Amino acid sequence: MNETLIETRALSARYGASRALDGLDASIGRGEVVAVLGENGSGKSTLLRVLARVLPASGGEVLFGGRPLSEMPRRESARRIAYVPQSVDLVFPIRSLDLVLQGRAPHGRGFAADTAEDLRIAREAMRACDVEDLAGRDAKALSGGERRRVFLARALAQEAEVWLLDDPTAGLDPRHRLEFLETLWRVHGERRTTVLLVTHEIALAGALATSVLLLKAGRAIARGPRADVLTPDNLSRAFGAPFESRGSAFRVRSAVLPGGAADL
Amino acid sequence: MKALPRAPAIAAGLLLLAAVLLFAFSVGGVHLSLGDLLGGQGEAGRTARLLAALRVPRVLLAALVGGCLALAGAALQALLKNPLADPFLLGTSGGAAAGAACAALAGASPLISPAAAFLGAAASSVGVATLARRGGRLDLERLLLAGLIANAFFSALLLAAFSIASGEASRTMLFWMMGSLADATPGKVAALAPYALAGAAVLVAASARLNLFAVGEESAAALGVDTERTKRVVFLAASLLTGAAVAFAGVIGFVGLLVPHGARAVAGNDQRTLLPLSALAGAALLVAADAVSRAALAPAELPIGAITAALGAPLFAWLLLRTP
Repeated sequence: MNETLIETRALSARYGASRALDGLDASIGRGEVVAVLGENGSGKSTLLRVLARVLPASGGEVLFGGRPLSEMPRRESARRIAYVPQSVDLVFPIRSLDLVLQGRAPHGRGFAADTAEDLRIAREAMRACDVEDLAGRDAKALSGGERRRVFLARALAQEAEVWLLDDPTAGLDPRHRLEFLETLWRVHGERRTTVLLVTHEIALAGALATSVLLLKAGRAIARGPRADVLTPDNLSRAFGAPFESRGSAFRVRSAVLPGGAADL
Repeated sequence: MKALPRAPAIAAGLLLLAAVLLFAFSVGGVHLSLGDLLGGQGEAGRTARLLAALRVPRVLLAALVGGCLALAGAALQALLKNPLADPFLLGTSGGAAAGAACAALAGASPLISPAAAFLGAAASSVGVATLARRGGRLDLERLLLAGLIANAFFSALLLAAFSIASGEASRTMLFWMMGSLADATPGKVAALAPYALAGAAVLVAASARLNLFAVGEESAAALGVDTERTKRVVFLAASLLTGAAVAFAGVIGFVGLLVPHGARAVAGNDQRTLLPLSALAGAALLVAADAVSRAALAPAELPIGAITAALGAPLFAWLLLRTP
């Protein structure tokens, strides 16, 4: 494994009385693409939200580059970690370019107008994500796939070392999903960004991730290179369903479905 | 999508305000000409200067109150990501009016009224924020609901005060309920100005951070904003502006709701432009509305709140229909 960039130690987080992360130990190497898998409520999104400092940890700690994340100034961690939430609800109109320019905020943009440098970086990010043509369009009016790529461009403009992507392909049709993943893979290749990717698609984890973090009830039940983690045993344990492997893919056995199994 | 860039937008706002101010100085029961005021001889000049001494504080008070209300509304809309957010909706104005009315009812000197209005606004803000707080965080949706509760409570209080009051005191109650700029004095203008400037400075300084709330609070936090602190600062500054406006002019509706929508339609939703522009446009709107209130039924006066509502309600309905 590469040099460790992010390490969580006995990390806990809660929403009111319910515990979403319950003593999670994990480490993420620099430049890895880590797929975070697990059933609903296993703490995947919560992990990203704690790393993005959107949700405070209730116990344990996160080390980022060896330093406690909670002691880092917010703007500094925002320059190094970009977060793309699962869904966003835009109320007022906003140009896609302005949305991408938000990524420059942690780099010291205040009341002053956007600098030429900010604009250059934002436009370059939009070009890299194939959304240059959408710059003047209202982000509210974009399709799901376009909007995901605009938000990826915002993360790119943030020039962060880490991207936290919460289920970025949810709700996308196969073509848009493919376009998004290819864009992601290409920009990851160019920038060697560390990526944490929450997903429900095991096949996607198999296709893209260099390593996998398997969560259940707020703890890691397996982590490491994808070939080691993605086994029928581990998956059955994580999802509470009977998995079997078929080549490099996985199926869930079913006594009900006509085919006897569902491809996943 | 087109939006006016910042400098032209603010220049346009300044021009609009200047034009409306000139118009408002000349309009009223008696026409006041600038020529008479500056170079008028004898009777005409004396009358002009006398009128100006009466009208100038009133027009300036209208400008400050309108600016305060519009700016508070614009900032709250950005913070709460809600086009219906407004100092009235959140119960701040109601708290201010109830505070002032209670003081008047208790027989306190009118000099105490502004202080009581501030206390009422602050009490309402703290109450609403407490109701909206959940798990140590200010929940934005609960904030709007808590505002509704505060409004119901304070309007009941205000109505009760009105029905108990008699004679002169009930006239004062009516002032808080209906809103009026008729009692403007240079002293009131001078007293309101520092609050208006302080609140405006805080909000404009927060405008770049407010922009990041457009995608949501979490997104803002992930971009390095201390969201809890920003919410507190913006909410308090908006309360300060609202309390100050209500203290000196009573409750005047629709300005905080309406002006930001109009400004947004012209200049887009970049808060760095929208906040200053809303302040200027709010000032212009209230100065114009006050001029109409003085001129329409001269020598009688229409209540200014009736005018802003008459202008505001249809325009707001139109804005609502226009939004997809």
